[in-house]
Formats: sequence, structure tokens, C-alpha cells
Amino acid sequence: MFSKTLRGTSLRGGRPGGASLAVLLTAWYTMASFVVVSAATGLLYLGLANNLRKISEQSLLDELDVCRALVRERGGDSQALHEEVEIDSAVRRYQKFYVRVLDASGMALSTTPGMDRDLSSSRLAQAAAGQQGIFWIDSPGGAPYRAIVALLPRDSTHRDVWTLQVAVDLTQEQEVLGRQRVWVWAVLAAALIFCPGVGVAIARRGTRPLREVAETARHIGSSTLNERIRAEGYPVEVAVLAEAFNAMLERLEESFARLSRFSADIAHELRTPVNNIRGEAEVALARTRTPEEYGEVLASCLEESVRLSELIESLLFLARSESPGDHLKRTREDLGRLLTDLRDYYEATATEMGVTLTASVGDSVWGDVDRALLQRALGNLVSNALAHCSAGDGIWLSARRQGGQTSIEVRDTGSGISADVLPRVFDRFYRADPARSRNSGGAGLGLAIVRQIVFLHGGDVRISSERGRGTTVSVVLPQST
Amino acid sequence: MKLLIVEDEVKTASFLKRGFSEAGFVVSVAFDGVDGMRQIQTGGFDLIVLDIMLPGTDGWHILTWLREAGLQTPVLILTARDEVRDRVKGLELGADDYLVKPFAFSELLARVRTILRRPPVREASTLRVADLELDMDGHRATRAGQRLDLTGREFTLLSLLVRHAGEVLTRTLIAQSVWNMNFDGDTNVVDVNLRRLRSKVDDPFPRKLLRTVRGVGYVLENPERN
Repeated sequence: MFSKTLRGTSLRGGRPGGASLAVLLTAWYTMASFVVVSAATGLLYLGLANNLRKISEQSLLDELDVCRALVRERGGDSQALHEEVEIDSAVRRYQKFYVRVLDASGMALSTTPGMDRDLSSSRLAQAAAGQQGIFWIDSPGGAPYRAIVALLPRDSTHRDVWTLQVAVDLTQEQEVLGRQRVWVWAVLAAALIFCPGVGVAIARRGTRPLREVAETARHIGSSTLNERIRAEGYPVEVAVLAEAFNAMLERLEESFARLSRFSADIAHELRTPVNNIRGEAEVALARTRTPEEYGEVLASCLEESVRLSELIESLLFLARSESPGDHLKRTREDLGRLLTDLRDYYEATATEMGVTLTASVGDSVWGDVDRALLQRALGNLVSNALAHCSAGDGIWLSARRQGGQTSIEVRDTGSGISADVLPRVFDRFYRADPARSRNSGGAGLGLAIVRQIVFLHGGDVRISSERGRGTTVSVVLPQST
Repeated sequence: MKLLIVEDEVKTASFLKRGFSEAGFVVSVAFDGVDGMRQIQTGGFDLIVLDIMLPGTDGWHILTWLREAGLQTPVLILTARDEVRDRVKGLELGADDYLVKPFAFSELLARVRTILRRPPVREASTLRVADLELDMDGHRATRAGQRLDLTGREFTLLSLLVRHAGEVLTRTLIAQSVWNMNFDGDTNVVDVNLRRLRSKVDDPFPRKLLRTVRGVGYVLENPERN
């Protein structure tokens, strides 16, 4: 019944597989508390029964001692014996004693009235046979008895031996224990009803924060990523969950924001070349032109298309490199060779600009890298350095092993980048100099691609720069790569 | 040379047909896979340019069918899909080359010519275009009998252009062939090198061999031939 009532509001919403936490908590709580209550009442009952038994045994022995003393000390005083046995015992109400004194021949000298009904002399003698001390004896009609049979030598010759039969009626004791049993069952029954109820309440209370967290989570969509779970007032465990959840939301919100900014940037970057193509074609077709003019328009459209293709290629590269999986085709490469190749490639450009381009590699440095990608990354760096250099400047490429890492450095003495924009130069579509149009600076994806390639290699890229002094970019790759 | 273009996108098929026709090929076009397979059966083509995403039956299927039929006609795959596993799949199924859209037509033309040229003929030790002469063994270039003073890279660049005389070479292809640069990053580096080469090869002479094809790349050709 709990599982049905709780399922509806449980965290899992009644989905198949796995029981509800609230149901489990309730079940465990009920079981545990029921076991504790049962054990406690059971032990109390046993303790009471034990105490009652001790009390009645003690009384029995007392009574026996009294009778024995009477017989021994006042042997002939049958009056005193008679008083004790037939009157004193008979008038007690709470613990009713029955005493019978038998002489050596087995004749009853004195008997508490009513004793013969349940406890005939022979029955007691029979029950006592083979038992030491106090024994238990049932009565066919009423309550059981506890009894003791003792021999009482009358002289030193041991020929005149009387027998004392003493019994105590256990009616009262049984009544007390009976009432106690009723209580025990009542307590257990109450526990059986009460424990699950409390269990349900506790479980509900305990899982309520979870339900609230789940409820908040359910409501959060891509447009409400700014919502947070209020972690205050929750138990530590749930607060930790809520905080972790909030941190995740934070990251999600950030990447969503970055993504939408990115999409806007893409749209903007695509718009320009598309607009150029469209406009040029439209204007060209508005009236008849010379073949040369058509050629000019077509060539311009082609240039814009190439620009679009390159942009799309770069974007696809970035998008793909962020999806999980190994995108690298690693081969063992001589990094020094890679740098001299780059130097050769850019040498003519550098020479035309009056910039010296130097590649220096000490010992041969090898690495397991994706040659094409690393070449692209370093090419972007050199190209970027050249864009910041003017006649008389220098660019140095170097690779060296440093501890457990391989460090590739592109250093220039160009114009440098100011400190406030430095942290953002690796962002997509970020151009350090807004005035630098695409004609000179590309779409602003170059350094983003560099960073992505280095990340794919498990490395890190660092940049330091000083306005007017130049820039140093270090690509640090772990040795294993 | 007979060429079959299997391509469902009408504009693409149209410019491919025109481009290849003007380059001297006899071109047939199939707009869907079924028609493509029918034409392949009747045709005797020297090369098939195959799009992958086709209505009816796709390019992978045509390629598989072709190779299972034992036809060794070279196939160049043309597609907008450029996942690495697609490339690998294409080459495993027996394609000869793989080109991703968008591409430069000159690049496609160069690749088609490369496939059709296989196996390579032994290269002559002396290459000649008009009055330009390249001694491949001695790494020497002369024009009109005058020795040209070229660096090693410049000679490599010039010999690439001479070997592909009459073909437009893209900047990417040039960067790849001469500097082993496998990226499209900064292709105006190629322009600088071509400018320097031109200053040595063309500038001193009245007849200009090197021509820039705007938006595409460069071609070295004998202007009097056209």
C-alpha cells in the first residue's frame, strides 16, 4: 500500500526499474523499528516473568523454613503447627500457600484447607519423585502451582521422618503475566501500525528536497538555463547534489551562451561574402556588359566563394574537433624538420617584408603528432606573427625538450598585443585589432584552431606579449605525444 | 577520353560537364544511380566521377556493384561528406580518389588527369615549354639559352608548373607539392613565391609564360599555343 501511495510522488515518477527511494526507506525504517520494539517488549516480559518466579520461589522457601522451624523447635506443639498450616496459609490472599505435614507413615497430620482439591498427597509425592528442590505442577482445573517437598527428621536416629509438602498458588502471578502479554501484543500491534506511518513521513520528508531538485530540473529548458536550485536549508547530501547541479547548469549556460554567440558570429561572417556574390551578380546582370566586365565579376565571385569555402572548412574543423573521439593521425615526426619546413614556406614572404625568420632546434626533438594538424597550427602562429611584424623585426621558431614536455615556441619582436585583449585572442572570431579587416586578418579563427589542435594533442598553448616589444606563443605538448 | 558524371545536383553536373568538355573530355551525365549503372553497362568510360548521395541507389552501392562486376574503370568520388571514415570507406571499396565539396574545379581536373595518367611514364630528363628549358638531372633552368638563377625551392616550383603545363594549379596544391604544407591557411605565401619566380622567369623576357587565374591559382603555358 505504501508503494502505491508513494510511487506517484516518488523521484522516479513511477518509471520501471528500481524501487522508489521513499518506499525503500519506509520499508527499512519499519523493519528496523519493529525489530527494536519487539526485542524491547519481549525482554521486558521475560524479565518480569523471571522476577515473579524468583519472588514466588523465595516465598515458598520462606514458608518451608517457617514450617520446618515450627516442627523442629516445637515438635509436639500441634496447635502452633495447626495454626500455621491451616489458618495462616489459608487466609493469605495474594500468595496462597498450601502446606501439608505427613508423619513417617505418610498420614497427613495437618493440611491447609482446600489443598486436597488439586494437590493430593500422592500427586505431590509422585511429582516430587526424582526432582530436587522446587518444581512446577499443573492443576487440572485452575492455575498451576510451584511446590517443594522436604523431609524433616524428627530425631537423630532418622527413623521418625516427617514430610513437608509446601505449594504456592500461581494464579496471581499468571494473571500479572497474562496482563503483561496483552500489553506486549498491544504495543507490537501499535508499532506495526505506527512505524510504517512514521516511516512514510520520514521518507517523504527526507526525499522532499530530492523531489524539489528534480522538479526544478524538470522545468529548466534551454531558455531558462539561468534558473538555479536554492541549496540553502537542504541537508548536506542534497545540498551537495544541488550545488553540483547548479555548477553543471552554470557550465551549460556558459556554453549555450558561447554557442549562440558563435552562431551569430558565423551568420555574420557568412553574410558578408554571400552578400558580395549576390550583389555583384545582380548588378552585373542588370544590363549588358563587356566580356571583360563579366570576367571581372565572375573572378570576384570566385574569390568570395573560396573565402566562404575556407570559412566553412575552418568551422567544420572546429566543430568536429570538439566532438569526443580521437581525431589525430599520429606519426613520429622530427619537430625540428617541421619547423625548418615552415621557415622555408614563409621565408619568401618574410624576406619581402624585411622580417628575418629563423628556425633553431638544438638536439633533434621528436614527437608523435598529427603532422598535418600541427603544421597547420604552427603555420597559423607564424602567419599571425608576420601580421604583427614590420621591416626590421624578427621571428624565431624553436623546439626543445623541457622536463617531461616538448615546448615549441614562436617568438616575434613585432607590435605585440595589449594585455587587456590577450586572454581573448584564442576565442573564435576574435580579432585583436577590430580595424584589421578580413582582407588582412582572416575570419578570426586562426588562433582558435591553433588552440583546438594543441588541445587535441593533450597539450597547452600559452601566450605572452608586450605592446611594442613582441609576442611569444608557446605550444607545450606532453612528452608522450 | 570518355567521362561519366553521376551527380543529381543539376547545377553541379552542368558546370562539371562544361568544364570537362572544355578540357577536351567526352562527357556523359547521369542524374541518378539507376541511370548511372545503366550507362556504365553500355558505356566503355575511361573514368567515372561519382557523387555519393544519390536518389534511387547511392554511390557506395554503385561502387560496390562496379567492382564486384570486375570493372576496373577508375572512380573519383565527389561528395559533401568528408568524415574520415567516409574517405576510408570509399578507398576501401575501390575508389581511386576522393574529393570533398566545395572544391576547385582545377583541382578536380588535375586529379582526374593524374588518375588517367597512371601508371606514370618515365619522366624526361629535359622539360620544355616554349623557350623555357628545365634540366631535371642537373637542376638547371634556362630561358632563351640564358641560365636562370633559381633557389632550390624555386626550381621545384617551376618544375611543378612545367610538368603540369597548361593546367591550372591551385595554391593549396602548390603548397602541398613544393613545401609539403597540408593546410589551406595562408595561401598568399604561394603568391609571394610565384611573384618572385615570375620576376626571374618572366620579367626579363617579352613572352610571359606564367599566368594568374584569379580566384583559382596559376598556370604555366605557352601563350602562342592558345
